Amino acid sequence: MVFKNMSYKNQRKLIIIAFSLIPVVLLFTFAYLPVINMFKYSFTNWNGYSDHYKWVGFKNYKTIFTDPKYFTVFKVSLYYFVATFVQMGLALYFATILSFKVRAKNFFKGVLFFPSLLNGVAIGFIFLFFFKPDGTLDTILNFLGLSSLSQGWLLNPNIINVSLAGASIWRYMGFNFIIFLGAISSVGKDVYEASDIDGANKWHQFRHIIIPSIKRIVQLNLILGISGAISAFDIPYIMTGGSNGSNTFVIQTVDVAFKFSKLGLASAMAVVLLFIVVIVTILQNLLSKKED
Amino acid sequence: MKRRKMLLGLMSALLVFAMVGCSSSKSEDTGSTNTGTTGTAATGKDLKGDITVITQKTDIVDTVFKDYAQKFKQEYPNINVKFQALSDYEGQIKVRMNSSDYGDVLLLPTSIPLADTPQFFEPLGNYDDMKKQYNGLEERTVDGKVYGIPTTINFNGLVYNKKVFADAGVTEVPKTPDQFLAALQKIKDKGAAVPLYTNYAAGWPLTQWEADLTTVAGNVDYVNITQANTDDNFVKGSPHYELYKLMYDVAQKGLIEKDPTTTDWETSKADLANGKIGTMVLGSWAIGQIQGLSKTPEDIGFMPFPTNAEKVIMPLADDYTIGISSKSSNKEAARAWIDWFINKSTYPTTEGGGMSPAVGAELPATLKQFEGTDVEFKFQTPAKAGQEGLVDKIDKDSEIGLWQPDFKKRIIEAAIGNKKESYDDIMKDLNDKWKASRASVASE
Amino acid sequence: MYKLKYTAASIFKYLSLIIAAFVVLIPIVVVLFASLKTGQEYANSSPLQPPTDWFNFANYKKAFIDGKMLLGFANTIFIVIVSIVGATLIGSMIAFVLSRFKFRGSKLLMGAFLLATLIPSVTTQVATFKIIDFLHLVDTRFAPILLYLGTDIIAVYIFLQFLDSISESLDESAMLDGASYFTIFFRIILPLLAPAIVTVIIVKGVNIYNDFYTPFLYMPSQELQVVSTALFKFKGPYGSQWEVISAAIIISIIPITIAFVSLQKYIYNGFSQGSVK
Repeated sequence: MVFKNMSYKNQRKLIIIAFSLIPVVLLFTFAYLPVINMFKYSFTNWNGYSDHYKWVGFKNYKTIFTDPKYFTVFKVSLYYFVATFVQMGLALYFATILSFKVRAKNFFKGVLFFPSLLNGVAIGFIFLFFFKPDGTLDTILNFLGLSSLSQGWLLNPNIINVSLAGASIWRYMGFNFIIFLGAISSVGKDVYEASDIDGANKWHQFRHIIIPSIKRIVQLNLILGISGAISAFDIPYIMTGGSNGSNTFVIQTVDVAFKFSKLGLASAMAVVLLFIVVIVTILQNLLSKKED
Repeated sequence: MKRRKMLLGLMSALLVFAMVGCSSSKSEDTGSTNTGTTGTAATGKDLKGDITVITQKTDIVDTVFKDYAQKFKQEYPNINVKFQALSDYEGQIKVRMNSSDYGDVLLLPTSIPLADTPQFFEPLGNYDDMKKQYNGLEERTVDGKVYGIPTTINFNGLVYNKKVFADAGVTEVPKTPDQFLAALQKIKDKGAAVPLYTNYAAGWPLTQWEADLTTVAGNVDYVNITQANTDDNFVKGSPHYELYKLMYDVAQKGLIEKDPTTTDWETSKADLANGKIGTMVLGSWAIGQIQGLSKTPEDIGFMPFPTNAEKVIMPLADDYTIGISSKSSNKEAARAWIDWFINKSTYPTTEGGGMSPAVGAELPATLKQFEGTDVEFKFQTPAKAGQEGLVDKIDKDSEIGLWQPDFKKRIIEAAIGNKKESYDDIMKDLNDKWKASRASVASE
Repeated sequence: MYKLKYTAASIFKYLSLIIAAFVVLIPIVVVLFASLKTGQEYANSSPLQPPTDWFNFANYKKAFIDGKMLLGFANTIFIVIVSIVGATLIGSMIAFVLSRFKFRGSKLLMGAFLLATLIPSVTTQVATFKIIDFLHLVDTRFAPILLYLGTDIIAVYIFLQFLDSISESLDESAMLDGASYFTIFFRIILPLLAPAIVTVIIVKGVNIYNDFYTPFLYMPSQELQVVSTALFKFKGPYGSQWEVISAAIIISIIPITIAFVSLQKYIYNGFSQGSVK
């Protein structure tokens, strides 16, 4: 009740502090403190478990920037980059049409979200069977009379990253979909009704009502998607362990850290990755601001 | 002194499943066969305490290990044993070793350098005393003190289906790489089975090939002594070159599975058991599992890796070694568990699938077939004083990964035409890395 | 003409939905089939081949009993509930502050939360482990809970999005009635955030439910196993029983599917707008 009698100005101060304190402490302890330590390790030759390590200055960074093998893997990220847009597009498409009148709406909503409920083991297992010779995909193609298309989906080095990016879309699209759907649903029905009266067609509604109202969430998802593409990890790691030309920067980092016990070098790689992701995010933000 | 068991030193943030594989490999021993005394601990009732035992055997931790604990309890009624099973053992235990809680009894991670062992583990005794009792202690002996006892001793070679070989008209077990290739070709021509299954997708089975380096070299000194002192580890004519040439050749001649990128380890075991696969490069630990899947277990045989060497040596190698955390507060109870586990639980020969490390223990049935043949079973010679862990250091520094699947995958990718490089290109690249890192490790 | 166009669009719409449903479901049906096969049958049949005995629940029994699924569910439920309640409170509080007040450092704070989502957590795990160890939380249920609260920021964004659509005129009219900011938050804003909270429950709940790495690393004790780690009982170093894992996967999907289906209508109902009227 004391609080109630405070001026709004003082209340404001108090509530900002009270409401920010715990989130900020948690954020700092579990997100930023590890990163600060990672910076520290990146200047050492620490193996990840010993008591002792040496400071090596910029040696780790020099290694990364002078050996081309560390950077060539970024071209694999391009596949996931493209996949991000496909994934966002599909999610937005389905979220939009399922926001309007559709038969068996809840069934489709549930089904589209379903892959997000699955666990990583299941995904690896499912897609191994999906892509193997005479597996699920080939069987379906056969059934459709398209057997000429079937091939080694993970064997052909030109196709493998497309297959993996496809699996990645399968897995993550439902998540974007549900977020978009939730955001679109926060737009009241009356807004559409009003625009219907004004004679707006579905495309206009999409362009002028839906897009602006969910802009922030689309942007966030896009940023997450793109940084996810740059740091693509779990799908290729589960499926192929990065072999046959599907290696990504994060897989490489994990390998360096744990296969070769070079946590110092791996930390430096993680720092480089973080910088790249941050720069791309800032660029993207600047670009989308310019558009406005 | 390196060897990696599974070393899929992975991790995975998100969801990942740890494709855990275990292999085994080598170690070395001078092979003292003095009959020793069996471990006599203080009487069981005097010891008490709670101990936590960490294992990689997620599959049997709630079944077989529970039985062990019960039997152990009959002898040591005041010791309570708790288990923790880690699926990605190597990766997780190393992270946990950053804290003071990594159990009382655990397996020594293979990737921890020998020199760092005393920092994390309790000495179990003097090597000179303990060698009368156990084989394979050299792998974790630092300054005359033993830190780990092998949970079992594996031998490496090829598990094969005798019927597949016989049906294709192969009557004699191939001894040399040429005979081996000819035999696989016959199986391919017959068309009933995949001649050799690489398990490329799972990755870790490819590391099993490295365990056969001693057989190819025909010399127990090669792995830890010769290799550590040569710049020419991958040049033409060297054991590594010859070993992986066979891998390249079988892949290049199409004697392997149709699509190596979608293989599945579980299926491959069943296929080998049922005659859909001719052979796989594996350790002794796999024999029992594959026989268990077969209706005719007598068809599943084991042969040494093909070699041109004069002597056929089947290398014996420690599986994971077991030891006590230096941070344990119940070290005596922990020691009692280790002695009991090695000598009385039957783990080394049953679940471990190899030979008991106890001196004088009986040979497993799969090895008896070689009694009286020219096949020799030997431990590798340990590294020279001052060179312990050197091969491992060079390997890590160069990121070659002798016990990692990476360059083996590269060889198969090149052999099936997915990469433009030739076998000699790959070997040259590896040799260059080896040479550079050997120099840089020496200068440290 | 209009009618024709309308029908074509409608056909396209349903066709795309049906194809999508098919693409999503086929791979899962494969798991369901596998879970009903015997080990022998599994090894010898194609994945799309239905099981010979539709009522072969042996794998389910094995997964449930040997995998100690009940224990897993109990631990999972505890962790999920505490984490979600925490994430909801923390997320809505910080989102409220960030969306309603402009103060020095608010942009910076917003940026700090965004930047945190970009950190690839695989690469910082050793450092993170040392912090949890320093706090003496290893092998307790609070290690994963704190990590889920501290590093996964998606809830904050979902709340921010919803707060944007809640008119500030609501706050203002409450202030005219003399309500404190506290009252405004707990009595007005939080209830209006209900649809967003349901979204957070689903999104975070699924993430936590399926995350296996964190519980595996931070809670090694058998008594602390969760559902996702129970799956790995059947995936040992020397092999794995896929048909049992399939059954375990299906078992683990069932409760979350039920939760999702029963909550879904709340997710899609945007009633925040309605309250302004």
